[in-house]
Amino acid sequence: MAGWNSHGSRLSSNSSFSSTPRTVTLGRVQPQPPSTRTIHCNDSDANALTRFAEVSNFVQPNGILIRLTWSSQGNSVSTTKYNFFTFLPKGLFEQFRRVANLYFLMISILSCTPISPVSPLTNVAPLTIVLIVSLVKEAFEDWKRFQNDLAINNSLVDVLQGQRWESIPWKKLQVGDIVRVKQNGLFPADLLFLASTNPDGVCYIETSNLDGETNLKIRKALEKTWDYVTPEKAAEFKGEVQCEQPNNSLYTFTGNLIIQKQTLPLTPNQILLRGCSLRNTEYIVGAVVYTGHESKVMMNAMNVPSKRSTLERKLDKLILILFAVLFTMCLIGSIGSGVFINRKYFYLGLEGKVNDSQFDPSNRFVVFILTMFTLITLFSTVIPISLYVSIEGIKFLQSIKFINNDLNMYHAETNTPALARTSNLNEELGQVEYVFTDKTGTLTRNLMEFFKCSIGGVSYGTGITEIERGVAERTGVKLPEDRRSANAIREKGFNFDDVRLMNGAWKNEPNPDMCKEFFRCLAVCHTVLPEGDDSPEKIIYQAASPDEEALVTAAKNFGFFFYRRTPTTIYVRESHVEKMGKIDDVCYEILNVLEFNSTRKRQSVVCRFPDGRLVLYCKGADTVIYERLGEGNGDLKKTTREHLELFGAAGLRTLCLAYKNLSPDMYESWNEKFIQAKSSLRDREKKLDEVAELIEKDLILIGCTAIEDKLQEGVPACIQILSKAGIKIWVLTGDKMETAINIAYACNLINNDMKQFIISSEIDDIREVEEKGDPLEIARVTKEAVKTQLRNCIEEAQQILSTVTGPKLALVIDGKCLMYALDPSLRGMLLNLSLNCSSVVCCRVSPLQKAQVTSMVKKGAKKITLSIGDGANDVSMIQAAHVGVGISGLEGMQAVMASDFAIAQFRFLTDLLLVHGRLSYIRICKVVTYFFYKNLTFTLTQFWFILQAGFSGQRYYDDWFQACYNVLFTSLPVVMLGLFDKDVNASLSKRYPQLYVEGLRNVFFKWRVVAGWTLFSVYQSLIVFFFVTRCGTSPQTSAGKMFGLWDISTMAFTCLVITVNLRLLLCCNNITKWHHISVWGSIMAWFLFIFGYSGFMTKSDRQENVYFIIFILMSTPFFYLMLVLVPVAALVGDFLYQGLQRWFFPYDYQIIQEMHHHEPDVNVRAQYVEVETRMTPEEARTFALAQLPSQRSKHTGFAFDSPAYESFFAAQAGVHAPQKPWDVVRRASMVKRAKPTK
Amino acid sequence: MSSNPTPSSGGPGSVDPSAARRNSKRPKYSKFTQQELPACKPILTPGWVISAFLLVSVVFIPIGVASLFASRDVVEIVDRYDDVCMNGTKSDRIKYIQGSGDKTCTRTLTWTVVMPYKPHSHHHFIGLCVSSTFQHFPFLSFPFVSLYVKSRSDAQLRYKKKESEVSACKPEDMVDGKPIVPCGLIAWSLFNDTYSFAIRNQNITVNKKDISWESDRDHKFGKDVYPKNFQKGSLIGGAHLNESVPLSQQEDLIVWMRTAALPTFRKLYGRIEQDLQANDVITVTLQNNYNTYSFNGKKMLVLSTTSWIGGKNDFLGIAYLTVGGFCFFLAVLFTLIYLVKPRRLGDPSYLSWNRNPGGR
Repeated sequence: MAGWNSHGSRLSSNSSFSSTPRTVTLGRVQPQPPSTRTIHCNDSDANALTRFAEVSNFVQPNGILIRLTWSSQGNSVSTTKYNFFTFLPKGLFEQFRRVANLYFLMISILSCTPISPVSPLTNVAPLTIVLIVSLVKEAFEDWKRFQNDLAINNSLVDVLQGQRWESIPWKKLQVGDIVRVKQNGLFPADLLFLASTNPDGVCYIETSNLDGETNLKIRKALEKTWDYVTPEKAAEFKGEVQCEQPNNSLYTFTGNLIIQKQTLPLTPNQILLRGCSLRNTEYIVGAVVYTGHESKVMMNAMNVPSKRSTLERKLDKLILILFAVLFTMCLIGSIGSGVFINRKYFYLGLEGKVNDSQFDPSNRFVVFILTMFTLITLFSTVIPISLYVSIEGIKFLQSIKFINNDLNMYHAETNTPALARTSNLNEELGQVEYVFTDKTGTLTRNLMEFFKCSIGGVSYGTGITEIERGVAERTGVKLPEDRRSANAIREKGFNFDDVRLMNGAWKNEPNPDMCKEFFRCLAVCHTVLPEGDDSPEKIIYQAASPDEEALVTAAKNFGFFFYRRTPTTIYVRESHVEKMGKIDDVCYEILNVLEFNSTRKRQSVVCRFPDGRLVLYCKGADTVIYERLGEGNGDLKKTTREHLELFGAAGLRTLCLAYKNLSPDMYESWNEKFIQAKSSLRDREKKLDEVAELIEKDLILIGCTAIEDKLQEGVPACIQILSKAGIKIWVLTGDKMETAINIAYACNLINNDMKQFIISSEIDDIREVEEKGDPLEIARVTKEAVKTQLRNCIEEAQQILSTVTGPKLALVIDGKCLMYALDPSLRGMLLNLSLNCSSVVCCRVSPLQKAQVTSMVKKGAKKITLSIGDGANDVSMIQAAHVGVGISGLEGMQAVMASDFAIAQFRFLTDLLLVHGRLSYIRICKVVTYFFYKNLTFTLTQFWFILQAGFSGQRYYDDWFQACYNVLFTSLPVVMLGLFDKDVNASLSKRYPQLYVEGLRNVFFKWRVVAGWTLFSVYQSLIVFFFVTRCGTSPQTSAGKMFGLWDISTMAFTCLVITVNLRLLLCCNNITKWHHISVWGSIMAWFLFIFGYSGFMTKSDRQENVYFIIFILMSTPFFYLMLVLVPVAALVGDFLYQGLQRWFFPYDYQIIQEMHHHEPDVNVRAQYVEVETRMTPEEARTFALAQLPSQRSKHTGFAFDSPAYESFFAAQAGVHAPQKPWDVVRRASMVKRAKPTK
Repeated sequence: MSSNPTPSSGGPGSVDPSAARRNSKRPKYSKFTQQELPACKPILTPGWVISAFLLVSVVFIPIGVASLFASRDVVEIVDRYDDVCMNGTKSDRIKYIQGSGDKTCTRTLTWTVVMPYKPHSHHHFIGLCVSSTFQHFPFLSFPFVSLYVKSRSDAQLRYKKKESEVSACKPEDMVDGKPIVPCGLIAWSLFNDTYSFAIRNQNITVNKKDISWESDRDHKFGKDVYPKNFQKGSLIGGAHLNESVPLSQQEDLIVWMRTAALPTFRKLYGRIEQDLQANDVITVTLQNNYNTYSFNGKKMLVLSTTSWIGGKNDFLGIAYLTVGGFCFFLAVLFTLIYLVKPRRLGDPSYLSWNRNPGGR
C-alpha cells in the first residue's frame, strides 16, 4: 500500500499546475511535471491559494478529467493496505490472485450447481478456512500498521500559532508551518532548517531511520535565517520557498529561499528529513516543505518486489501436472459415462422422458460434458488447497523461530541476531550454488586502521598485514613476530608503529616540512565531527567513513589533534613546532569544501591559515590525484607510486595526499564561480564538479596513506566450508586487482593449486590505444582483446577439464573487461568460462556491473544465486540475486533493507546455508511431496470407486469426510514435519558440508521422487479401496447382516487416515513428541469426529447415510481386522522400499546419521552458550591453514610484495620482471606458461 | 521453555549483567528455537527392518489362519437361477418377465454338511437372497450410478410430515400429483423375487425378522410412515408394499435401501432357523419376478451358515496370510542379503564424496 500511495503522490507530482501556464495539445504529449513548486512559509492563506491554483482541473488528451491536489492529506500518513470498506473486496482480490484459490473458487461455484455430486460444503469449507486464515493474517498485519500510523500521526509537535508555540498532532501540520523540534525529537515532515539554539546555526542529526547510519551528521542553516529562534522573531518570518517537486532522492535537494527579495540557494544541508532525529541541539526551528506522503522518506517507502523461490515455481509445475492427472481421470470417467449410460438399466428410470440431461442416453455428448464437470468437482481434492497456506505457515515459523533465534548466528560484539526479512526463500537457501560477495565490510571488517604511510618518498610503518602473514605462512616463510616498540600507541583506527615518526621524531626525517603538510592535510581535509571532551583521550570522532576517522585519529597521534569544528573553522592542536613540548591551538578557516563523490574520487578543502596563507588540501584515489599533479618532481611521484603498489599488494587501502598554495587573487575569482555554481537550481552537482576541476590542478604530491582493512572473523574457514559444500564463490569488488587477488588468497578463495585465468585491461595493446585517447578505437581494441583472452582461457579450461584430475580453475577479471565481456556477443563465452571456475574474482566493478554479473549467472546458469554485501553499492546485486543477504554491519542499512536475510558476519553464512537452508529445503520438499501423495491417494480411492459406479460421479465418501480430510485429519502432522524434521544436527551439517550437495542436485524434489510417491500412492489407494470393498461384500455378523456403501466407505476412510498418517511417521528422520501428538492426535480427531458425527441425526438428509455407522462397524470383527490389515499391507511397500534404499543406495545423510547415531545430541549447544565465539581469528586461520593441501614444495605464483620473491620468480621463469602496476597480471600469466613444462 | 536461563546470558565482562541482558538482542535459548527438541531418531537398520517384517508375519499369520479356518467352517451354496428359470433369447426373456405369466421356478439344492441349528449359538442357517451383479458397476452388472443412489428422500422415510419432500426422487416422485411414499428409484426398484424352501416336502419357515440393522429400523424409517401411492405409476419397477405396515417394519425395503458398495452384492433375505442334515435335498420354489435380463444381470440364491467373521470370506484370511507370508519372506530375504552383502553401518566409504574422489 505504501506502493499505492506513493503512486498516488507520483501522480500528483507528475501532473499539472505550476506557475507557468501550459497549453495542452492533443496528441501523445504527456504533461510534464513542473520543475518547481512554491511554498509560502508561515502564511497558510497564501499556501491555500497556491494549492487552489494548482488544483487545476486538468483534461488529458483522452478526455479524462483529473483533479489533482497536493498534500490534501496534510501531514498524516497511512501505510495500511486496506481500510474498513476496502478490506474485504481488496483482500479477497489479493487472495484470488493465487491460482490455487481461484481454482477452488471455481470448483466451489461448480459444486453449488446441480451437476455436483458433492454438497458445496466439501469445497467451500476448506476454501473458506484457507481464506479466513489468510485474511485474518492480513487484517492483523494491517491493524498493526494502522496502530503504528495512528501513533505517529497523533504524536505532538510545536507549531507557531501567532506568537507562541502550540502543540498539535503531526497530522495537522501543513506545508509552510513553522515548527520547533526539541532535542532527540523526530522531524515530523521534511523541514527547511531555519535556526537552531547552537551558535552558527548548525544542528546535528541522526539518520538511522533512513539509512541506519548512526554517526551524527551536521546541518547548517542559511545565515540569513539564524535569528528566527524565538517565537516572537519566528512569527515575523515571511519567506517563499521554491523547491523541486517531491521526489525520493534522500541526498539531493534543490531549491531557493526568497526572503526579503533576496534569492538564497538551498542545499540538502538545510533540509531536515522526516524520520531523522535531532541530537546535541536544544531545539531547532524549521519550515515545513514536504508533508505526509510527499516527504522523502515516504516517497522511498516502496514495496520490495517479492521473490519467489525456485522450489515454489517447480511446485507450480507439479500443480499443473496434477491438473493433467485430474483432467485425465475426469476424461476417463466421462467417456465411460457417455458409453455406459443406457436405457437397459431400467432401474435408473430412463424409460420415459429423462429429467436429468446428465443421464439422458439419447444425448451422450451432453452426458459426457456434464459428467466431466461433475467429476471435476468430485476429484478436485487432488489439488491440495491447503498446501500453499501450510507451506507459508511453515516457512514463516522457520524464519521467525529458527533463523531469527539461532544462537549460532548471534553476534555478541555488535549485539545482532540474524534476521529473516522474508520467509519466502528459506528453502532457496538450501540450494544456493553461487555466492556473490562484496569484499569490503563483508569479507573484510570495514574496520580501518592507519597502518602505513609514505611521506615525501619515504615509506613508514613496520607492521605486517594479516594478508602478508597468511601468504607467508602458506609459503613456509617464517615472519618475525610482531615486535612493537614499547611506546607504540594502539587505538581504534590506529595501528601504526614507526619510531621515525612517533612522538615528534619526524622532525629529524629528511623532509620535515613535507611531514608537516602531510599531518596537516590529515587534520584539516575531512568532514569528521568531533564529539565530547576536547582531550585526545576522550574525543570521539563522528565520521561518514571509517577511513576518514582513521586518518584523523592518525593525525592526532602524530601531534596534530583536531578537536573542534565550526561551520567555517577547524581547530587543530599542533604539538610539533620548533621547540619540544610547545603546543599551539591553530585555527584554520575553512573557505570551501569540495566534497567527495564517486566520480570525483577526491576531496579538497580550501583553508586559510592564521597567517593568511591560502592552501588547498586534497586527498583522493591515486589515479585522480596523479592526473592533477603539477610538473616536475618525477622521482617523488615514482617512488610514491611504488609504495602505493606495495601497499596495495599487501591488501591495504591507499589514498594520495596533495596540496597547493593559492594566491588570493586567483582564489577570489574562482570563489565567485564556485558560489554561482552552488546557488544554481539545475545541475548543481555537475556545475560544482566543473568548478572544482578549475582549482584542483597543479597539485604538489605529499605522499600516501595505507589503511588496513581487516579480514572478518572466520572468513577463510567459512569459505573453505562453503566450497566444500559445492558452492562457488565470486568476489565482486570495487578494489584494485592486486588487492582483490590478495584478499582472495587470504580468504582461501584462490590457492596455488588452482589454475588461474586473468583477464585484465592492463595489457599493452589497450594501454597504447588508451594513450591515443580515441574512445571508439579504445572500445574496439578492448573488445577484441577481451575476446581473444576469453577464447584462450576457454580453450585451456577445456583441456584441463577433459583430464580427470586437473586442477580447479579460478578466474580474475577486471571491471573494464567485464564491461565488454558482458556484451551479448561475448556473454556466452564469459559464462562458459566462469561456470567452470570454482572461484571468480571481479575487481574494479561498479554496482551496476555487480548486478549484471549476478543476473548473468542467474539466467545463464539457471542455478540459485545468493548475493551478500553490506553497503549501498551492493543493493542492486542483492536485489538481482535469487537470495539477497545483507550484513548488518558498520556501513549503514541500505543493504539490509534490500536484503532477504540479514546476518552480522560473513561466517554465519555457513549456518544460514548449511543448517537452515539445508533443513528448510529438505523439509519443504518433504512437505510438498507428502501433500501431493496424500491428496492423490485420497482422490484415487474415489477414482477406483467411480470405475465401479457406472462412471457416474457417485461420491464414495461422505461430504464432511472429504471436506475435513485436508483440513483436520492430515494437516497438522505435515506441519510438524515441516518444522521439526531434522536428518542430522547443526554441527554435523557444518562438519560435513558435502551434505549440502544433495540440495544442489535437488535430490529430494526430482521428478523421480515425485514419480516414486505417485507409484506408492497408486498402490496404497488400490489396497485401501479393494481390500475394504472386497472384504466388505460378504455378511459381516453372525446374523448375516450386510454392509452398505457408506459402511464400507467409512471403513476405507478410516484405513486411509491411519495409513496416510503412519506414512508420515515413516518419512520422518526424527520423531519428537510433537510428531506423536500430531499424528496420533489426527487419528484420534478422526475417531472423535466420526463418533460425534454419526452419533446423532439432523434433519439434513445427506448426513443420514452415516448415521450410527461407526457403531455398526465397530460391532463387527471386520472393522478390527481391516484396521490392522489395510494400513500394514499398504505400508509394506513403502517400508520395503525404504529398507532397500537405505541398504543399497544410502543417501549421504543416512551414512552420517549412522556414523553418529550413538553420539548424544544434547549439550553440543552448551559449549556454544558458554563460549561466545567458537574460534578466535587466529584459530580460524590455523584451522584454515591446516585444511589447505600441503603446498610447501610447490612454487607459488604469487608473492605479495617482497622484491625478493619477485626476482626469484623472474629468474626461474627466465623473464626480467620490472615492477609495474600490471605486475600481478604478468606474474599470473607466467604461471600459466610455466605449468605445461612441468 | 523459553524461561530456561542460559549459563552466560549476561555476556562476558559486562559490568551490570541485568542491564546487559535487558539491552541484549541475544535470542533466548530454548530447545525449540535451537531445533534441539529431544527426539527419537529411528534408523532403518537391517535389524529393525528384519524384526519389523518378522513381527508383522508373526502377528498376521495366526490371524490369517484363524480367519481362514472360520471362513472354511462356513458352508455356502450358491445357485444361479436367472438363466435356468427362463429359456429363450434375451428379448424373449425380457418380454416374459415383464409379462404377467406365471414365473414360478423350482430349484433343488443339496446340502452337504451337517450343521445343526442351535438357537443361542452363532451358527445360524441363513437364506441369503443374492441378486448378484446388481447395484453397482463393473461392466454388465448393476451399477449404482449417482442418479440411483441419490434417488431417495430420507426425510420422507423418517417423518410422516415430510412425505411431500420428494424433490430428489425424480422421476419416481409423484403419481397423479400425489407424493409417492417411499419415493425414488431405489424403493421403486425393490427386489421382488420370493423364495420358499422345503425339505422332504416339508416347508421350512424363513425368519424375515431382524434382517436389517437395528439403527435403520429404529431411526431411519418412521413407525408412523406408511407406503402410499407406491408402484402406482405407469411403470412398475419391483415389489409392492403392504400399505398397512409401517416402513419401520418393512425389513425387505430397509435392507434394499441400504445401497451396496459394489455392483455385485448380496442382500439378506431371511434366516432358516432349523437343522439341516447332511445331503438334505432342499427344494426351493421361487418367483422369478425381478428383471435382470435387460441389463444382463445375474441372480443367485445363496444358502450359507455364518461364523464369527460373518459369512464365507476367504479373502480376509488369504490377505492376512499373504501379507504375513510376504513379510516373512522379506525377513528371510533381508537376512540373506545381510549375510551375503553386508554393509557396515556408518561406513564413511559409502559417502558420495568418498566413492568418487576424482569427481568435480
